[in-house]
Amino acid sequence: MSTKAPSAPAQVQTSSPQWLQALLLLAPAGIWLALLLVIPTLLIFQLSLVPDIKPGDIVNPSGLDNYLRIFQPDVLKVIGRSLLFAIGTTLLCLLMGFPVAYWIALLSPKRWRNLLLLAFVLPLWTSSLLRSYAWISILRPTGVLNTLLTSLHLPTLDLLNRSPAVLIGMTYSLLPYMVLILYASLEKLDRRFLEAAADLGATPPQAFWKVTVPQTLPGIAAGSLLVFITGLGDFINPELLGGTSSMTAARLIYNQFLGATQNWGFGSALSMVLILAVSLAIALLIKYGDKNASSL
Amino acid sequence: MSQTATQNQQATDTHVGFDVELRKVFKVFNGDTVVRGVDLSIRRGEFFSILGPSGCGKTTTLRLIAGFETPSAGDVLIRGQSMLNVPPYRRPANTVFQNYALFSHLTVWENVAFGLRIKKCRKSETQERVKEALKLVKMDGFANRFPAQLSGGQQQRVALARALINRPTVVLLDEPLGALDLKLRKEMQVELSNLHQELGVTFVLVTHDQEEALSLSDRIAVMVEGKVEQIGTPSQIYDRPQTPFVADFIGDTNLFRGKIEGAHPTMLWIITDRGLKMKVQPTDASGLPLTSGAVVVSVRPEKVNVSFSPPDDAINCFEGRLKHVMYLGTHVHYVVQLRSGDQLTVRQPNALNVPDSDTPIYLHWGADDCLALPE
Amino acid sequence: MNHMADFLTRSLHASRSRRRFLQTSIAGLSSMALSSCGWTLAKVQTDQVRRGAADELHIYTWSNYVDQDLIDAFRSQTGIKVISDVFDSNEMMLATFQAGKAGTYSIIYPSDYKVSQMVQLGYLSELDHSRLDGLRNILPRFQQSVHDPGNRFSVPVSWGTTGLIYNSEKLTEPPTDWDYLWKHKDKLTRRLTLMDDFREVMGATLRSLGYSYNATDPQQIKQAYEKLQELKPAITTFTTDAWRDQLLAGDLTIAMGYSADAVNVMNQNPKLKYVIPASGTSLWSDTMVIPKTAPNPEAAYAWMDFMLEPDVAARVTERLFFATPNEAAFNQLPDNLKNNVTLFPPHNLLDRSETLAPLDKPILELYEKYWTKLTSS
Repeated sequence: MSTKAPSAPAQVQTSSPQWLQALLLLAPAGIWLALLLVIPTLLIFQLSLVPDIKPGDIVNPSGLDNYLRIFQPDVLKVIGRSLLFAIGTTLLCLLMGFPVAYWIALLSPKRWRNLLLLAFVLPLWTSSLLRSYAWISILRPTGVLNTLLTSLHLPTLDLLNRSPAVLIGMTYSLLPYMVLILYASLEKLDRRFLEAAADLGATPPQAFWKVTVPQTLPGIAAGSLLVFITGLGDFINPELLGGTSSMTAARLIYNQFLGATQNWGFGSALSMVLILAVSLAIALLIKYGDKNASSL
Repeated sequence: MSQTATQNQQATDTHVGFDVELRKVFKVFNGDTVVRGVDLSIRRGEFFSILGPSGCGKTTTLRLIAGFETPSAGDVLIRGQSMLNVPPYRRPANTVFQNYALFSHLTVWENVAFGLRIKKCRKSETQERVKEALKLVKMDGFANRFPAQLSGGQQQRVALARALINRPTVVLLDEPLGALDLKLRKEMQVELSNLHQELGVTFVLVTHDQEEALSLSDRIAVMVEGKVEQIGTPSQIYDRPQTPFVADFIGDTNLFRGKIEGAHPTMLWIITDRGLKMKVQPTDASGLPLTSGAVVVSVRPEKVNVSFSPPDDAINCFEGRLKHVMYLGTHVHYVVQLRSGDQLTVRQPNALNVPDSDTPIYLHWGADDCLALPE
Repeated sequence: MNHMADFLTRSLHASRSRRRFLQTSIAGLSSMALSSCGWTLAKVQTDQVRRGAADELHIYTWSNYVDQDLIDAFRSQTGIKVISDVFDSNEMMLATFQAGKAGTYSIIYPSDYKVSQMVQLGYLSELDHSRLDGLRNILPRFQQSVHDPGNRFSVPVSWGTTGLIYNSEKLTEPPTDWDYLWKHKDKLTRRLTLMDDFREVMGATLRSLGYSYNATDPQQIKQAYEKLQELKPAITTFTTDAWRDQLLAGDLTIAMGYSADAVNVMNQNPKLKYVIPASGTSLWSDTMVIPKTAPNPEAAYAWMDFMLEPDVAARVTERLFFATPNEAAFNQLPDNLKNNVTLFPPHNLLDRSETLAPLDKPILELYEKYWTKLTSS
């Protein structure tokens, strides 16, 4: 940015406040990120290298034992279950959320849209714990669902304390996020694209798959990622609805920090692995999103 | 499938000869009547324009043909078949949209191939036809670009190729050149005209640009407030407007309100509201011969003659003073104020020896150089 | 269709959630719960406290221990104003304490096992027994807790047991011991819940094998794990408090839980019974401690002394339904409470029971390893 021209003093005068301005604008977010994201992550990483650390201990990085423990079959099984719940929830949210978001964004009367969205987001205002307890009430053997099924002379379902109940609870918790993000994406969809597709001979389903879905792909990816990440961290739903075999990675981490064993090192190692997995997912999204953005 | 449909239509439309027909079509949006009983018959292979000011219902009319809107009343026919229950994706019409609506997630090649891929065309045939279509619009070098990487004119060409590749019965163009700058617009007009001649397909163009409509079209429908004011060839529309609106909207004109004082099969005597007495030769174009009542006399600026001394035995001769001079390159416009108070625009090919504003000048025109239009 | 209302009134009841189990409830929830039980709602104060005001005492306690009458009585006796904040789990309490609230409270109510940890961390001040006259009224059993022998740092205020709560209508033969679960496991398929606490569950299993709740022999621990695996088809889930609704509704037959929770549900449905397994169970207690950082230790001693008064302790038992470790207070209780075996089980049964003792880290990790195995398979 340096100039050799005689006008240099003037340049300095204007460029100095410019970098100062940039610094001032970026500083709050930068400090925030450093304090609340970068430093804690580094601390967790440091802790993850320490075997047998207790609260209050002096930290001495020394090894990868904590990481090796992750490869025990039981721990791998736990991580696998977490991934399964998170992926299953993501797929269910996508399957159920897309039609809803589509309907609200493209088909519902315009003046009702905000109200419909609000209605859909309303459950988010209650405690997630309360929602899980509500599902216990609904799904238990003599609960609301089975009372209804019996009155319709249908066979009852024993869902509570099994994996389907976890998926139901998690999908219910995360569906509003998916719908909101998909709505934002679908709302921006240029309707002339749909007309153009119809004009070129595409039936509504063909137009949906060849235009609507590709056009909203960034939204689909963002919504899926959010649901996946949040689902990966959820332990309330698996815990309350999943029965005896419901240990998830998040719960295992919780146990290491706030449970009886207090193994912060292993908990940190496990956290690092999850952070890495999630970062990888985000990196893929950014890469993918970029490719898509270049065409916009 | 579309081929058999075309064959079936063959029998019915040989005596009709129309590709698109609108019969007493109405369209109401939320209690607002946008199209009011439009009747149109567009001939096979014709370049037909719908011309009108914004909000006149011309785009809605086009969308009714494409099938994006369904008429509130009336019927839309393509090749003699009612389209009332035919969704847009089954109509043998393709549209070039205003601002093109090119799929942003697809390349130029994929955009053009879209229609063929939907129809599950064979790969080799698709390849060939896309190549051909891109060549036709001179875009063969841009197949792998995305629409965002193209200029407006290039996008326009791709949109054209995309609409033409399905070999539609009729191509609908919704203000296709509106977003281009003047020079590019002129170029594209020429290309559109060439394409139309080359392909022989029916074109229906919606535009608010009278010059565009006049230069490109075989026939023009002038619309205002949801109604068709007049349908005719460019010269009919320009030289023989049937309503004061058309006369005023197409080109420049001078209008005088008045009423008929005397009628003869070959001459009308009219006195304007400001007391000017005019002789006008009646035309048959206006349907029923005018014999009485309120009329508007229209005189095109280029039909008005100017002289500096009172001409002998000239009819429709009025004295005035020169108010303004507008030099327009190929010609000059003079604004002249008559003693009656009326202002006239006069067009002359060359600059006159301009008199000052105190010198009387005399304007006159022949009885066959002006029109009397029913009010 | 009364399910929703049922659910709201029942499962919102403040849980006696005092142990190591996953504590998911939030402060708002327990406040709601309190108001629905009719207890006075404690005002949760989060802002900075005026430190050292001589006439103010800040206590940090369990939501269900807050009793405005008691606070008023203390104020009229001493002139000290009590401000109480509540927590839902020992872990939350400690985290809050460590996160900068150490200088706020003069009295904290940790559970027994948390006391030993807080002592280890050096947070607690040693009590001056000469100022706590009422300490001699505490039952010997609770004077010699493994977590704080001789009450050097803590004063026990309440205690309880772990046992089985069952629906007497659904069982022809009522359970008497832990073994019952294994014997009838086929009939109990998916009708049994155990607590979401590996020390309690593994401990009970160890006890049923004839070992200690605090076994340290890896072989014994492994054996207990294998025995638990056998029972797994019968267990529908591990939960410390979410069983209430389902037990009341008849979806469950037996639930393992704390005596205090048992009292709660038995009040709602007399068909539900509580049994302490004959081979013994775990005993827990909650205590009062004074942190080293206490801004007002004088008032803290006054509060402890007040709470140790027999008639005050008896009143707490009557009003809050917690067993008191105060012998003099027990003697003052009406007969129906004295004879309530859920609250006060017979002495021979207590003699066979144990407190969950702190274990060495490698042993604790072994327990945890088997627990992870059990809950991940």
